[in-house]
Amino acid sequence: MTWEIFKFELKYRWKRPATYIYFAIMFLLPFLAAAWDQLTIGGAAGQIKENAPHNISFMMLIVTAIPGLLLAAGIMGTPVIRDYEHKTASLFFTTPITKTQYLTGRFLGSFLTAVFVFSGMIWGMALGHLSPWVDPDKLLPFSIWNYLHPFFTLVLPNLFIMSGIFFMGGALSKKMLVVFTQGVGILVMYLISVQFLSDMESQTTAALMDPFAVGTHNYATQYWTVAEKNSQVVPLTGLMMTNRLIWMGLSLLALILTYVFFDFSASRKSKKKKAAATKDSQPKRIASSTVIPSVTQHDGFATNIKQMFGMSWFYFKWIFKQVPFIAILIAGIAIMLNNAQHWGKVYGVFKLPTTYSMLELIQSFNLFFIIIIVMYTGELIWKERDVKMNLIYDALPYPNFVTLAGKFFAMVYMFISLLAILMLTGMTIQAMSGYTDFQIGLYVKTLFSDTLSFLLLFTFLGFLFQSLTNHKFVGHAAFVVFFIATMVFGQLGIEHRMFQFGSTGLGNFSDMNGYGHYVPTFSWFNIYWFGFAGLLFAVALLFSTRGAETAFMMRLKKSRLRLTKPLLTFGLFSMMLFTGSGCYIYYNTNIQNKYTNSDQDEKSQADYEKTLKKYEDIAQPKITDIYLEIDIFPKARDFEARGTYQLKNKTDETISQIHLQYNPDKNITNSVKFGTDATIKEAFEEFDYFIYELKKPLAPGDSLQMDFVTKFDTKGFVESGSNTEVLNNGTFFNNTYFPSFGYSDNFELGDDDTRKEQDLPEKERQRERNDPVGLAQNLLTDDSDRLNLEMILSTSPDQIAIAPGYLQKEWEEDGRKYFHYKMDEPILGFFSVVSAQYEIAKDTWTSENGENVNLEVYYHKGHDLNIDRLMKGMKESLSYFSKNFSPYQYRQLRIMEFPRYRSFAQSFPNTVPFSEDMGFIMDIQEDDIDFPFYVTAHEVGHQWWAHQVTEANVKGNAMLSETMAQYSALMVMKNTYPTEMMQKFLKFEMNSYLRGRSREQKKEQPLELVERQGYIHYRKGAVVMYALQDYISEDSVNIALQRCIKDWAYREDQYITSANLLGYFREVTPDSMQYLIKDMFETITLFENRAKEATYQKSGEEYLVDLDISSIKYRADSLGNETSIEVNDWIDIGVYGEDENGKDKILYLQKHKITKEEMNFKIKVKEKPTKAGIDPINKLIDRNPDDNRMRMTLKENG
Amino acid sequence: MDLQISNLSKTYPNGVQASKNVTLTIPVGMFGLLGPNGAGKSTLMRTIATLQEPDSGSIMLGDLNVLTQKHEVRKILGYLPQEFGVYPKVSAAVLLDHLAVLKGITNSGERKEIVEALLVKTNLWEDRKKNLGGYSGGMKQRFGIAQALLASPRLIIVDEPTAGLDPAERNRFLNLLSELGENTIVILSTHIVEDVKELCTNMAVINKGEVLLTGTPSDALENIKGRIWRKQITKDQIENYKNTHNVISERRSAGKPIIHVFSDMQPGEGFTVVEPDLEDVYFSEIFGKNVNAIM
Repeated sequence: MTWEIFKFELKYRWKRPATYIYFAIMFLLPFLAAAWDQLTIGGAAGQIKENAPHNISFMMLIVTAIPGLLLAAGIMGTPVIRDYEHKTASLFFTTPITKTQYLTGRFLGSFLTAVFVFSGMIWGMALGHLSPWVDPDKLLPFSIWNYLHPFFTLVLPNLFIMSGIFFMGGALSKKMLVVFTQGVGILVMYLISVQFLSDMESQTTAALMDPFAVGTHNYATQYWTVAEKNSQVVPLTGLMMTNRLIWMGLSLLALILTYVFFDFSASRKSKKKKAAATKDSQPKRIASSTVIPSVTQHDGFATNIKQMFGMSWFYFKWIFKQVPFIAILIAGIAIMLNNAQHWGKVYGVFKLPTTYSMLELIQSFNLFFIIIIVMYTGELIWKERDVKMNLIYDALPYPNFVTLAGKFFAMVYMFISLLAILMLTGMTIQAMSGYTDFQIGLYVKTLFSDTLSFLLLFTFLGFLFQSLTNHKFVGHAAFVVFFIATMVFGQLGIEHRMFQFGSTGLGNFSDMNGYGHYVPTFSWFNIYWFGFAGLLFAVALLFSTRGAETAFMMRLKKSRLRLTKPLLTFGLFSMMLFTGSGCYIYYNTNIQNKYTNSDQDEKSQADYEKTLKKYEDIAQPKITDIYLEIDIFPKARDFEARGTYQLKNKTDETISQIHLQYNPDKNITNSVKFGTDATIKEAFEEFDYFIYELKKPLAPGDSLQMDFVTKFDTKGFVESGSNTEVLNNGTFFNNTYFPSFGYSDNFELGDDDTRKEQDLPEKERQRERNDPVGLAQNLLTDDSDRLNLEMILSTSPDQIAIAPGYLQKEWEEDGRKYFHYKMDEPILGFFSVVSAQYEIAKDTWTSENGENVNLEVYYHKGHDLNIDRLMKGMKESLSYFSKNFSPYQYRQLRIMEFPRYRSFAQSFPNTVPFSEDMGFIMDIQEDDIDFPFYVTAHEVGHQWWAHQVTEANVKGNAMLSETMAQYSALMVMKNTYPTEMMQKFLKFEMNSYLRGRSREQKKEQPLELVERQGYIHYRKGAVVMYALQDYISEDSVNIALQRCIKDWAYREDQYITSANLLGYFREVTPDSMQYLIKDMFETITLFENRAKEATYQKSGEEYLVDLDISSIKYRADSLGNETSIEVNDWIDIGVYGEDENGKDKILYLQKHKITKEEMNFKIKVKEKPTKAGIDPINKLIDRNPDDNRMRMTLKENG
Repeated sequence: MDLQISNLSKTYPNGVQASKNVTLTIPVGMFGLLGPNGAGKSTLMRTIATLQEPDSGSIMLGDLNVLTQKHEVRKILGYLPQEFGVYPKVSAAVLLDHLAVLKGITNSGERKEIVEALLVKTNLWEDRKKNLGGYSGGMKQRFGIAQALLASPRLIIVDEPTAGLDPAERNRFLNLLSELGENTIVILSTHIVEDVKELCTNMAVINKGEVLLTGTPSDALENIKGRIWRKQITKDQIENYKNTHNVISERRSAGKPIIHVFSDMQPGEGFTVVEPDLEDVYFSEIFGKNVNAIM
């Protein structure tokens, strides 16, 4: 019998068009993603090939999750519900089949159908990759195994998991909405696990709780190199296996529950019989003696409005009673509360739960808003028809707009309630962490403008889709098509916000700058989109179904009758708003400002290179002096700079042409005047590149004055990417706004894929280490070596303007404030201009020689939480560096806060602009890494590593400035805080390095040849330098650095490279440790150290530890192909006990020479040991840092 | 005020002709529209209820053009569709109140009064706070008439209201209809002859989109008086009689078939003339003439 039912189910499915439509979706989406550049799922990029096994499995997982969830719900939720809906249930249940047969047959039949549907992705993806037009350079040799393996190990289990759960939901509730709600629940689990995964400390939990195993997949492969991603399928072991077993077990449990609780009898008893028992206080009334009273029937606009709001209220109450709605609401809030556990965490440190960060947190609810909109626009439009009351409603005397507008306002009420609930949730989260600066105004302002407008616009869209398609599920599908279409349009170059429905562009909030200049853009785009939405509403009204006839042609015919005067007025009014604001936006974004899409940008970058690359190495004079007068107008976001450069021909050839490169920002205009007669010989307007011919050429050693005026004029507003450097409050820009000389390779395209599209050859990221041109330039600019700087800044009277240099004079004139800064010694040609309303904290640091250095922190009012940490950071750093490296070269050091649109701190001479986001709002708890302190120490380190010792513009140069700044910061931390904090910090660094190399797009370099790869020069650099000082001692490293500074500080004739620095390291490294230099700096070397078994025995007062370890040493090439090499290394062996607080305590830590892959150690310790291992502190780069130590067990004697 | 339907035709996209040149005059009072399932009754009713467009023809309610002045018609219309549902989790009182607002009764005092009165009138007072999901078929149907009677409509259309009701509920429902005002046009469509017999002053028989007969029930009876014949036969004779006679209906008495035959004269041996009832009118209109046409 089971067989019969199974066959029946299959036959039924085989005849349903839905089965084939689902299959087509599962085929087409992966096909397009594989074969078409405009649609991407997952991440083939750079060296990772399109059909790399890792990429295939990831794509399959995503497709299984995103459309797959919906399709699985559609296939697996329906079989039992169908019998109830078609009322065939009672027919079935009276036949002699058993419950087991019925359920098994239905389940298996549907499941097989689902397997068929999902198998579409194998063929879709494989055919996509085999398509002849796919660039063969992006492909590996075809192998069907790479498709089958993930399908069977990942997709099929996921399908089974979803199937069990949906089948249960459908069979037990007989309601499709319950099934969809389950789908939302699964999605929630997935999203929560994604959030968990972003936090290093909860990744294992995340890997287990993800129902789709997407996170598990990514966690298992997080350290995979390019080579591994290209060659290996994700194995079904470890956490992946556990995850699969847990979830499939849950699914099986769901099926068992279905069997137990499924009521196999035909009658569906109404459970609500006793609901009416409410006591009736009203007296009984007799029908025959009752007269129906006559009433006044009202009509007209006022009545219609009343009717509309009556309708809104009725449906609002209805929505709030819906179980799915409440489930989504709870799920959304649960996600928010969960995400709050990880929100804004940097190095394990929380930021303050400010209101704007709560508002960003609330955005994690957006997906649920979309789900609610898609579901409930459909439900509301169809409500009367779903309950079959439509004919009654349709014959009632109210105009058409009452229903649609009434339902719209029901959605509005619902949104307002939801936003209020979310706001309260946000405030609860704040209150729970003891933060009480609620800024209710900001909540209301943001949620009820930005968020609400997004919700309303998409509600209009939903109504339109439902009204035009006149089919609920087609209406839902229209949304999906809409989102895909939007994405594809974007890829095709239609990127302007005016074509991205609902895009209004309210940027980030900053305490310093508020929503600042984003407000006008936001307002105009809102008018534009609401005008458009009004049109949609009018169309929806014209075509909305009323009455018994639903065919589109009939409605089209009727729509003419419906085009009443008020509707026409409304439509015209909307049209006016739409086109009027559209014109104004176009005027601002495309006429006042220049609009280009990303394709045009790429082409223009390519043209720049093709046209001007020939001038790259042409001889140009260098700037020796800069004098600048800059008037900043914060309110208008303008500035005007009048400057003078003194130029000197430092080459040995005569220079007759000056190549001027202006900043390409369209807000900037320049004019120049040379000290001698000069004419424009060639002008490349489109590249802001001008070649001047000097009437009197500049002989070697000669100088020339150049006067210029640079005007920055903000005009109207731009489409996107508005300037976040010149602001109402918190302006911070640097010297790149002013004229520079010669071709700049910064404007070249960097990504090799893009370069190929533009017919450009692949490009090295930096010059070779022995490139003479690179060696003659410093890392920052080839326009100057060291130069003298003097600046007079003026700004509005409520702001303070700051530039590198000592303040000479400060005065007010004509309602503006002036500041005169001057450097008394030459600096690198790298300076900042900052202007904002500041509070100032001051302190002094005194050197060993008794010289005072003024310390200042300029901060936004109220951001005083971490000022002490910044001050302490500056002091401790200055002390350590001046004692161990060389004296500090300036008499002042200043930190100034700038808005959080950008997140970094940057070291200019004696001046450190520091983002609002980086340190000012960190909420540092006991045991946390002192993040602001670390950043400060790093930036102060740059006053030595960059500003004293300046590296050449060649490969490996970041090992000098950035890696040494990291080392400097580490040593300051080591001297100020307990070792554990350092280790915690290094754990993050190690993780970032391993993940970074896994995402490498081009090639991983050894540290000494790093090419602007942050994961190497910051992350690996920190780990390696910490290990180096551990192996050869801190003093030795510092002696090497002292020697380096002595030889290289302030030089202009030649700039230092990593090769020079390594020379100093070699000098201080004992012969037995020289291999470290090769392992750490010259090659990519990794270990796979592992504790295999650890036991201990008590022997008298002492404990005897027995430890088995294994150690494999690898060398990797630039793609991550690893080969093992012989181990012959000194590595820590450690044993831990516990202190009275239960924290780890080192009992034994010694370096041992490891000479074999497997070794055994017997170690005596005095206290009871708990853990032991090899390299337990992760000093060495380790492929799996987590398995180095293990908990040990007591071995009974004898 | 009469309802004047003239030359109304409607063909559905699938080719079914639901109305063929229908012309009817429906006066004030109870009007019965009799026809078998699929005769085009509902199409006609929905068209009068402003819910559907005809291909051609016109409908006038007094001075109102039903096809273009829909809003005006809806104000004085009460409509009970053939099949309808309700919000299962809303009580009768709440839903009736909601519909009353949409009917334009915006004064809350008046609304409360009429809602209560209608609930009493339809014997739903006791159950007014119950969710509609728990209502029986009859209660739901009474709720349907309650909503149709909101705001004292002058044109009431009830489409197959008694289908599926048990005899007690059906009686209760018909009693309710019979109380409706004398100034109102009530159109009752049904395929149950008894309904019309008990309530209607005027009637029409409609089949396959065509009006076969209009008039008062008594005129209709008068028309076929003496032309309906009855005979008890055996089971195997049925086909035979159908081929040779105008058999309009066959029923059973104690298990044996009895046929009614429409004929102007004695159709044959063993036939006796019977006093016709409305059912004979109905069947003779629907079947009798067909057979005539074939013969």
